[in-house]
Amino acid sequence: MKAGASSPLRFLASGGLALFLLAIPTLLAATAGFLARAQSPPPPSIKVVNLIPASLSGETNQDSEPFLAIQNQNAQVMVASAFTPNPFSMTGNAPVYVSQDGGKSWVLNAITPVQRMTCDMTHAMATGENHPRGDLHAGTLACASGITLDESESNDVSLSTTMNVQSTRGNVDQPFVRALGVASGDRIYVGVNDFNQASGRTATIDVSVDGGATYKSIPIETRKTAGQDGPSVRPAVANDGTVYAAFFGWRKFDGKTATSDIVVVRDDAAATGTNPFQVLKDPSDKQPGRIVVKGVSIPWSNAPAMGQERIGSTLSIAVDPNHSGTVYVSWADKGSKGDIYTLHMRSSTDRGVTWSKADLPGTTIHNATNVALAVANNGVVGFLYQQLSSGRWVTHLVQSHDGFMTARDFVLSTAPANQPVEQFLPYLGDYDYLLSVGSEFRGVFCANNTPDVSNFPQGVTYQRAADFNAKTLNDGSGNLVPISIDPFYFSVPVIP
Amino acid sequence: MKISPVFIGAGLLLALCGCARAATPQATDRAALATKSSIIFSGTVSQLAATSFADVPKSAQTIVVTVDSIAKKPAAVSLKKGDNVTVEVKDASAFQEGTHATFYTDGWIFGSGIAVKELGHEVGAAGVETAPAAPVEMKARGQDQTDQELLDRMKASDFVVVGRVTDVHKWNAPKPKSGAPSRVTEHDPDWHEAVVEVQSVLKGGKVKGNKVIVRFPNRNDVAWVSSPKFAKNERGIFCLNRDQSTGVPSTKVGGQQVNVYTCLGHGDALPISDEARVRALLKNQ
Repeated sequence: MKAGASSPLRFLASGGLALFLLAIPTLLAATAGFLARAQSPPPPSIKVVNLIPASLSGETNQDSEPFLAIQNQNAQVMVASAFTPNPFSMTGNAPVYVSQDGGKSWVLNAITPVQRMTCDMTHAMATGENHPRGDLHAGTLACASGITLDESESNDVSLSTTMNVQSTRGNVDQPFVRALGVASGDRIYVGVNDFNQASGRTATIDVSVDGGATYKSIPIETRKTAGQDGPSVRPAVANDGTVYAAFFGWRKFDGKTATSDIVVVRDDAAATGTNPFQVLKDPSDKQPGRIVVKGVSIPWSNAPAMGQERIGSTLSIAVDPNHSGTVYVSWADKGSKGDIYTLHMRSSTDRGVTWSKADLPGTTIHNATNVALAVANNGVVGFLYQQLSSGRWVTHLVQSHDGFMTARDFVLSTAPANQPVEQFLPYLGDYDYLLSVGSEFRGVFCANNTPDVSNFPQGVTYQRAADFNAKTLNDGSGNLVPISIDPFYFSVPVIP
Repeated sequence: MKISPVFIGAGLLLALCGCARAATPQATDRAALATKSSIIFSGTVSQLAATSFADVPKSAQTIVVTVDSIAKKPAAVSLKKGDNVTVEVKDASAFQEGTHATFYTDGWIFGSGIAVKELGHEVGAAGVETAPAAPVEMKARGQDQTDQELLDRMKASDFVVVGRVTDVHKWNAPKPKSGAPSRVTEHDPDWHEAVVEVQSVLKGGKVKGNKVIVRFPNRNDVAWVSSPKFAKNERGIFCLNRDQSTGVPSTKVGGQQVNVYTCLGHGDALPISDEARVRALLKNQ
């Protein structure tokens, strides 16, 4: 760690005070954001941490597409992931980032079952099996000659033991893991776009109710598709065992645009029954799967389309953990003229039977992607997204306790969108992530890692060697290191 | 990967250039260890049954070593003289506080410090004392593979050839007879074909017509970022395997059905400047 580089306090102490004072107007303006209905300064306990450890200060990878898991019974323990390769071996295991001190520090531990680097990874830590540094349940894609899904588990993420693969198969896309610990063991829900399903009804939830010992693949699409559904299939689990899932029901696809329904399914018994995810039927055709919005146009670009990022499948769903009838869904589709990708958010307060007819106030966000929703114990909704604004990627966390009639916007990062040049797609990720734990929202996003305090309005801590005065990175021995995309962890107090 | 060239000269090349038979067993062992190791350094044991930073599980097998010099490490790894490194050793009874040794290791945990796992060690500083203070960085494509990794890769290849790319074109997979639709994913490889004129075969049998068809993913998606992308007139060394990815492992060329190959892994295409290294590895395997 370099003096004057590791934290905002060190920055101030090392002679950056004058620069900081000059930057205050910019910081306040950035914090105000688009929903600036509250102007008070951010609480001091907001934390933003660059995940790259000091001992990897020389790395220049595009560590994009972050994810996060929190051990809810021992919330000091967290696991994060990104497209970070094994730092010392071409054939060693792909790593994860592990924190055991509530996110202040992170280490890289190569424990996934995938060689070198995953090409998709999400994970969750349930608490049903009494492992204080587990159970981490992961869905990983390994990309070699083909693409293989592994569903795997670690009982202790501090050890170097490779995660135990419990289920594996090919021909699937974008695993998205949620988990709930109950006395009888961990329940795991993995949204996947499963090309093995019949008739192109590919939206699927892999369900395990025995801690991953066995998985059952449950198709949740019941309607005719354009040959398949969209890549994103997102489950959400409430404490009472209610499980929702949202997906893009693709009805037409011409190679550039998908005409899609936004569909939500629900199960009231933790998907343990004989016909899971069928209770929520749409009034239009009586089929399982409530259509929140019908026939939206979603641009599909597997090339840089917006701030060096690709677009085509951003989707999130969140349920109030303590009031399972309240649920929120957000997605992006083709916006108005001059705007190719617009976020929307809708809500339901009757278990997904009816939905708001229009976007919740202030939640129509232009030129934005990577939406992630979470609901805190007090019902406050967290709305994380990344918006391309004036040539910069701006990462927002918006909170609201009243359905976005009022809201508070926290800008976590604002950095040039044209630097560094993309090494591959996704540039920042096809998703970022947000969770609630206790009185905090915790999450992860990726951004340009230039150590510039004006890029981080809430402050930032770097573990890797950085000089905030010179705005440069170095390898720990003083040699300059080019900027790259890094994953950042954050914690923001839930508003009252 | 940063490697001391002097160290490699003293160790690796003895084994890899055909001189290994004349070397002492110790030198041969050292070269083999060096090939397998990703981090090699010399240092002095400062603590037993201890760790150098939090988050590393402490055990009777973990010791703390203060670094004196570094012979080999990945470029991303921050390690310098004076740093304390946690080493999980194979036999803790071989070390006492103050023991000076060269450690041949693999990475383990990277945090505020570094923890490594011992692959071998030599008491004293043999092999490292001659290392320069600033290891040379090797940036050429494929050279971040260790020799062992490259050798393993070549062993798993059907062919290793030196060749020149004479043509590159898009390849569309034929529609399946079942009528099943093609899949739309972010990981779509966007298959292309390269025609490689084979100039010499380093591993494998004779190549019919001295040409091979190599399919490669042209997509810049994370799934394929490590796969070599071929360009017309490019010369190189290519590790090839029969195509098991596209579902169509052969194609017609000049009216004849020929096998198709892929070249998918990181470092499967090497610059022509690596020819001597590749030949030496194959000769001494």
